[in-house]
Amino acid sequence: MNVKVYSTPTCPWCSMAKKYLEEKNVTYEDLDVSRNKDAASDMVNKSGQRGVPVIDIDGNIIVGFDKDRIDSLI
Amino acid sequence: MYDVVIIGKGPAGLSAALYTVRANLNTLIIGKNDSALLKTEKIENYFGFAEPVRGEDLLKAGEQQAVRLGARIVETEVISVVKNDFFEIMTNDEVFLGKALILATGQPQKKINIQGIDEFEGKGVSYCSTCDGFFYNNLKVGVLGFKDYAVHEAMELTAFTKDITIYTNGSKLDISNKYKDESAGFKVNEKPIERLSGTEFLQNIHFKDSTSESIDGIFVAYGSASSIDFARKLGILTDNNSILVDKSQQTNLDGLFAAGDCTGGFKQVSTAVGQGALAGRKAIEYIRSL
Repeated sequence: MNVKVYSTPTCPWCSMAKKYLEEKNVTYEDLDVSRNKDAASDMVNKSGQRGVPVIDIDGNIIVGFDKDRIDSLI
Repeated sequence: MYDVVIIGKGPAGLSAALYTVRANLNTLIIGKNDSALLKTEKIENYFGFAEPVRGEDLLKAGEQQAVRLGARIVETEVISVVKNDFFEIMTNDEVFLGKALILATGQPQKKINIQGIDEFEGKGVSYCSTCDGFFYNNLKVGVLGFKDYAVHEAMELTAFTKDITIYTNGSKLDISNKYKDESAGFKVNEKPIERLSGTEFLQNIHFKDSTSESIDGIFVAYGSASSIDFARKLGILTDNNSILVDKSQQTNLDGLFAAGDCTGGFKQVSTAVGQGALAGRKAIEYIRSL
């Protein structure tokens, strides 16, 4: 499973989403879009919007911290 | 540090407090005198009153009951809620810490009727400056609001850009003394707003006097911060302007519960009191599990 989390350090939702994935033993790539402009542009292209977090699970895009959708995809 | 902080001092919040204080939990209630119940002259369908009771009297008695049992009530406005190890609740003048938090702020305000505000959500319109502010590095942003909450959001955005305007949408700025000096640092535009426009992302804000300005981002902080605003920032799931809770009033965030009108459903004193009791009991269980 390939999981990417597009996040910023100041976003509470992002920390919660990452913690949740860790609790579920899901390994993910953490992309800080406040520092990584390529990742930021990638995120906007994939999700069509500028809100974080965005979670990419095998190409399925979740905007926000949505436990149910995460559960259904991991 | 409080065991339980309750935001809102209507029937749901006060009812929750009755349970938490009686379980010896250090309980703080933060709220303003703005319960919808204050305007109700006659309540005839609440159990236990042979004669109709005024909403104001019922609330007053509820407050006295909670205080008698040991709760502390602070009358002030909550500006923001942050969850780190504990919940940090920032008010106009103080920051409180709580191990558990119960949101009981009543019926959310009606959505702002500005054309395009929903269409551009996530595409220039944001409800979370700390989450999305960085996307607007050195760009032109606005904060939609007219109270302390708007100034607080504008201050958070100064980490990303200096070009910040507070758009009051026809209201006069209504700022407490604490935020007066800070608000002087921002441009203020009091014109009523007609619509937002753009192609893929937000580009312009149009006013009812037929003028318009270019804009890259709008952060919504309208009126007083409500449960829905806190929910958006904390990552609590909502549906149609109501906070989603399970049967025991638990939200999707550990230690955070919600009760009463902010959770939607049947908006009655009796249901608010019942939900408050459930939230209080669940908060007790949560604190004891720590």
